[in-house]
Amino acid sequence: MIADKQPGFDTQLAYRSQQLFKEIVNDIDYNIEYTQKGSIYLIESEQEWEVAENYVKQQVADGFPMRMMDRKEIHDDEPHIADDIIGGVEIECDAACDPMAMAYGLALAAQKNGAEILTFHAVKDIKLDEKGAVKSVVTDQGEILTKAVVNCAGVWAPHVGKMVGIDIPILPRQGQILVAESTIPVGKRKIVEFGYMMAKFGSSDYKRNVSPEIEKYGIAMVFEPTSHNNFLIGSSRAMVGYDTRVSIEIMRGLAERAIRFFPIMKNINVIRAYAGLRPYCPDHFPIVSPVEEVPGFYIAAGHEGDGIGLGPVTGKLISQMITGEETELPVERMSFARFKKN
Amino acid sequence: MEDKDMIICRCEEVTLGEILQAIKDGARDVTGVKRRTRAGMGSCQGSSCERLVEGILRRELKKTQADLKPDPARPPVMPITFGVLGGDQD
Ligand SMILES: Cc1cc2nc3c(=O)[nH]c(=O)nc-3n(C[C@H](O)[C@H](O)[C@H](O)COP(=O)(O)OP(=O)(O)OC[C@H]3O[C@@H](n4cnc5c(N)ncnc54)[C@H](O)[C@@H]3O)c2cc1C
Ligand code: FES
Repeated sequence: MIADKQPGFDTQLAYRSQQLFKEIVNDIDYNIEYTQKGSIYLIESEQEWEVAENYVKQQVADGFPMRMMDRKEIHDDEPHIADDIIGGVEIECDAACDPMAMAYGLALAAQKNGAEILTFHAVKDIKLDEKGAVKSVVTDQGEILTKAVVNCAGVWAPHVGKMVGIDIPILPRQGQILVAESTIPVGKRKIVEFGYMMAKFGSSDYKRNVSPEIEKYGIAMVFEPTSHNNFLIGSSRAMVGYDTRVSIEIMRGLAERAIRFFPIMKNINVIRAYAGLRPYCPDHFPIVSPVEEVPGFYIAAGHEGDGIGLGPVTGKLISQMITGEETELPVERMSFARFKKN
Repeated sequence: MEDKDMIICRCEEVTLGEILQAIKDGARDVTGVKRRTRAGMGSCQGSSCERLVEGILRRELKKTQADLKPDPARPPVMPITFGVLGGDQD
């Protein structure tokens, strides 16, 4: 989705990835449940409206398909949202897919094209030659000789980085999700409270009217309908190491925020809660980059909450780097070297 | 011959044939089958089908129960409404 991106390069990158998704859907022989229904931001206050209007103006000037929706329009279009919502932003190009199907579909397609995939092989070490370039990858089931290796280990990328002696500044940022039972359609597309952007980027010049718990756990309502007639409710953000247990405080906060925007959910069941770890980079940009000091070592990690959406463009750029082609987008902002400069 | 169209997961309507295909595609445990087919993701959260899926995995992969990694248990134990969870019970 481009909805939660900052204007400029951030949006451009996500937009390119959206185009690549369409090519992938055509190219692979696997249903990844891809739909392009757009997304909507819900606006709660005049102050949010002002911030949103400026944001949309800037994005439209850059050529992205977004627009403001007034009170009447948004309530006509999404009848289950709370009565006091004063308007919204529609982002027409946003899409969704089943991320696990996406991973399986891509892997099977790669296999068909000759790739060999080794599952359940843990990488234990990476060996370098006398010049300091990549020589081999050591797994728990044998050694693989190679001149190029991509560290795409997500929140574990720092551990793999250590194997070649580099420090990668990625941290796990936990997020929890509530899964609802399958039920009547509550909303047509992804619906997000505008305050989500503030939670994501930690903007301080703006405060939502929420309880201290909601603030503390970075909770902001994200509604995501699935192609199986149920929906997911997010989102939370907390730095708790590699802990993927759910907590009752956050489950409560998510439910509280969900019914604030969708009162109809009071009577809908939650069937599951789970937690995952986002690979967080301090400046909110991923690392998609070669590592100068270790020739043959590449990093594609640190996408925080955008690793599925940005997956296609990341794969494209990394493949262009490895084959020595010119990258189709400027990659400066995502370089590993940026962390050394300051 | 077994009936490949036999429904194993009732909530998500997943057939035996689909589960066998998932194992062929590389699933090695209940979680692997679940991620590929949705078996176990339904409203009963696998309480009806998980045992069956486990049995199929054991048979296809020639493994014992102890070799199979169980799917992690996640709350809530029973479905609970957003209203009760979010503290709004009217
Ligand atoms: C609650 C939540 C909601 C999210 N929602 C969205 C969303 O709506 N849209 C979106 O785009 N993104 C979303 N994300 C983010 C997205 O899930 C991540 O950015 C993405 O999964 C990162 O992908 P990755 O391939 O970099 O890492 P991962 O998917 O974590 O993959 C890393 C892999 O490396 C393997 N590995 C690690 N160490 C080793 C080793 N030593 N040897 C072998 N293998 C190893 C791991 O087993 C793992 O399979 C969400 C995340 C969370 C937690
Ligand atoms: S029967 Fe499979 S989830 Fe209920």
